[in-house]
Amino acid sequence: MTLSDLRLRLRALLLHRRVDAELDEELAFHLEMQARKHRAAGAGDADAQRLARARFGSTALVADQCRDTRGIGFVETLWQDVRYAVRSFRRAPAFALTVVGTIALGLGLNTAVFTIFNAYVLKPFAVRDPHSLYAFEWRSRAGQWRLLTWPEYEGFRRDNPVFSEVFAERRQFITRVDGHTAYTQLVSGNYFRMLGVDAAIGRVLEPSDASAPGREPVAVISHAFWQRAFGADPRVIGRTILVQGRPCEVIGIAREGFAGLDFALPRDIWAPITLSPQLEDDANLFGPDPPRRVGIVGRLKPGVTVRTAEAALLAWAEAATRTFADDDKAAGVLVESRATSVPLRPMTMLAFAPIMAAFAMVLLIACANVANMMLARGMARQREIGIRLTLGAERARLVRQLLTESVLLALPAAAVGFIASRVTIDAAVRIMFATLPTEFTEYIRVAPLPPDLRVFAFMLVAAIATGILFGLAPALQTTRSNIVSMARGDFGSDFGPARLRRALVVAQITASVMLLITTAVLVRAAQRLSRVDPGVRTRDIITFDVRDPQRARVVAALAAHPIVVGLAGTSTIPLDGNAPQVAVATMDRPELVGLRYRYVSPSYFDLFDLPILSGRTFTAEEGEAGAAVAILSEAAAARLWPDQPRRDAVGRTLRVVPDRRTRSGARIARFQTVQVIGVARDAATDLDNNEPVSTIVHFPASLTAPGSGLVARVTGEAEAARRTLDASLAIAAPGAVQEIHKLQEFVSGRVYPYRAASWVSGAVGTLALLLTVSGLYGVLSYLVRQREKEISIRMALGANRAAVVSLVIMQSLRLAAIGLPAGALFAVGAATLFASKFMILTTFDALAYLAVALTVLAACLAASLFPALRAARLDPMTVLRAD
Amino acid sequence: MSRREPLDILQGTLDLLILRTLQTGPQHGWAISERIEQISQAVLEVNQGSLYPALHRLEHRGWIEAEWGISDLGKRARFYRLTAAGRRQLDLETESWQRLSVAINRVLRLA
Repeated sequence: MTLSDLRLRLRALLLHRRVDAELDEELAFHLEMQARKHRAAGAGDADAQRLARARFGSTALVADQCRDTRGIGFVETLWQDVRYAVRSFRRAPAFALTVVGTIALGLGLNTAVFTIFNAYVLKPFAVRDPHSLYAFEWRSRAGQWRLLTWPEYEGFRRDNPVFSEVFAERRQFITRVDGHTAYTQLVSGNYFRMLGVDAAIGRVLEPSDASAPGREPVAVISHAFWQRAFGADPRVIGRTILVQGRPCEVIGIAREGFAGLDFALPRDIWAPITLSPQLEDDANLFGPDPPRRVGIVGRLKPGVTVRTAEAALLAWAEAATRTFADDDKAAGVLVESRATSVPLRPMTMLAFAPIMAAFAMVLLIACANVANMMLARGMARQREIGIRLTLGAERARLVRQLLTESVLLALPAAAVGFIASRVTIDAAVRIMFATLPTEFTEYIRVAPLPPDLRVFAFMLVAAIATGILFGLAPALQTTRSNIVSMARGDFGSDFGPARLRRALVVAQITASVMLLITTAVLVRAAQRLSRVDPGVRTRDIITFDVRDPQRARVVAALAAHPIVVGLAGTSTIPLDGNAPQVAVATMDRPELVGLRYRYVSPSYFDLFDLPILSGRTFTAEEGEAGAAVAILSEAAAARLWPDQPRRDAVGRTLRVVPDRRTRSGARIARFQTVQVIGVARDAATDLDNNEPVSTIVHFPASLTAPGSGLVARVTGEAEAARRTLDASLAIAAPGAVQEIHKLQEFVSGRVYPYRAASWVSGAVGTLALLLTVSGLYGVLSYLVRQREKEISIRMALGANRAAVVSLVIMQSLRLAAIGLPAGALFAVGAATLFASKFMILTTFDALAYLAVALTVLAACLAASLFPALRAARLDPMTVLRAD
Repeated sequence: MSRREPLDILQGTLDLLILRTLQTGPQHGWAISERIEQISQAVLEVNQGSLYPALHRLEHRGWIEAEWGISDLGKRARFYRLTAAGRRQLDLETESWQRLSVAINRVLRLA
């Protein structure tokens, strides 16, 4: 195609009226000149014109040929097809509306999922050049991920091979400001400047704010937190708020929409990292033996690829750890993009894949349904299409026209689907917050989910692909007619899409079986989880996470409070899966046994109603001293001495073998041997696993041991008690309580993800089943219509109605007989694939599979009932006389 | 685009004649057909119906350009003009026509 060609084509396309007028004028001029010539030769006026026209031929034809050279035929045919399609929709509005509705539903759900995926994984943060931001960590030979120490960061910032600028960040922590939960993060002074984020009011942190420890305590708060906690009052600037019980002056509000580089835990407060010694209880970042707790985010220099950066940073880390113990030397690095909330990597895709697949399946089922409807319609239009084919219409041309129709149906479906996606997202967020255990709502945040260009592009592409998907097979099928037989006026004989339609229904049954089995398995998991007896008292227990400096004050206040009937300290809260493991061995056998361990105060067992089955509990003195004694759970005792009664465990000695990764000076490394003084009843240490782990060893600690949680048993209603205690502690020890929860809520929180997942897959599965039933119904009705003659002949020959009904029902059952086992097979496959990620899911749950099989079978029967009855009601005489 | 490959001879010939006619200067469609008839001493009669599609085709190929102008009789007419590409094409086609006619003449004489 030459340039002039393109120019002329464009002109013809854009100015087609004018180009047509010019052509007419040109031809008219020619005719006039010719007529003039004839007149000059002596012809009369009328004769001259007639002669000219005769010589020229048909002007319309010539004009058409000229237009053909312009080659805008494609567009013109498209326009024709569009008009034709719209006319045919107008003739069958119910059909068009059903198709649009069905596809809109599928597209809407998928767009909703994509919108969420987009917000977390694809959409970069609104900061300066987000795609060049990378976080950096290194891995030791022992396999632990390591951050930097403060002095290392200082050196790294001045002199590193790949980043043009670097900021330091500490892990965010939860604090409570005026009763509002706030995610707080300590950052280096260049944080805002490097990200290009400025203040809505006041100012952001400057390098001078964090130049050295001991500067003025200041804080910047997020726009969202400003609105939530301070009612958007601009006078908050200059006010002093208590962060971790320390007064900090609010110097500014970050620009709207900025909440750090993480949507799951959007930051509410930022403070200079140099305030770490005042705000954090951990080891001093700036002390003589600085901990490795400084996170690094850098901006890659232009032209440096991630791969180069990894190589250079590994070299840097190896050099920096050259003098370390062998296990601590650097063995690898992680350079991970911070452009989006969740980095786009294989794991992310794997996590999103099952969700996306489930929703895509609904769209596919919707497509199959529509394809079926199109086929049925194709059957009705067989006569029209047959005539057009016989008259010489090209097949490709007809297929194109039918595809245009499908895409035209898919586009309005996309528009409706867009609205559906907004409604779905809105409803889902509302439902989530309405059903979350109440104490969790404070901690759960949702990323902003506005539609953007990527979402619209996704919709458009999905809509067109959908249109082609549900239109192509029917279009090919309907135009595959035999011209010879059609020319004879026989429009039915060679039209056999039955096999295709049945295949579509089988695929639908398969997909809905798979989704429903997933639902059933999740529901059963949630049920099982909520039924698991934790073995500890939960209903009147309140748990506290308290800052160390004020621990004594909190303990005193709680002990004195009238509604508190018991108080204990524990290094980790029961049921929380995070109790660490330690290897122990008996004195008589060398093999190591891994046990969870927990430091608890003597009152722990009483408080949780955990009876000491033999031996005794810790004494107060043992607690204070952290004596070398231990209380085993029953399961742990059985594990260590398998063939002896549990009371024999009491008095024996255990060897404690710290992991080589255990830091020297850790509490667990204090003793090599401990004496077992008691055996307590089993209780679940966590609820993550199928079978709760209860092999645990307890070591003594005092109520005020640093770094541990407090648990209180209260009288009265738990939520009221929680509020009362929270309020009185806010006065007795301001800023001390970082978290305060009901233990029961914790149990609900553990069950919630399974429950929520079962709701989602249940909704999706039900939708899939409904679509499948309507598709099956369509196929069977069509089948009955197609076989009317045959059925009538059978009836005329003496078949009774029961035989006819069973004929139709058997059809439906035959489809289910393929779809059911196929779906079950896929479900087993999917479960095996994901079981490793979610321990609670059993790969094969017979009851779940059976329930789903029966449900789907019943649905198939229901779908075949009406067509079967219709077949039974046929009047053979009328049908047979019709042709 | 070279035009050495065999072509529909009638179409190719009409293209060649149009290009050659325009070599002397811009013309409108009717004048082109008149001129071909005159020069060929009425041996060649241009099918006027196929003249215009041919003109439009040549225009799309970029060998001629069209412009509205005023005819000798003071009426608006569409004038076609040879482009540089058209001139090159004319040379090519003239040459291949001559080779063709020589070849055909040889066959007629010697076969």
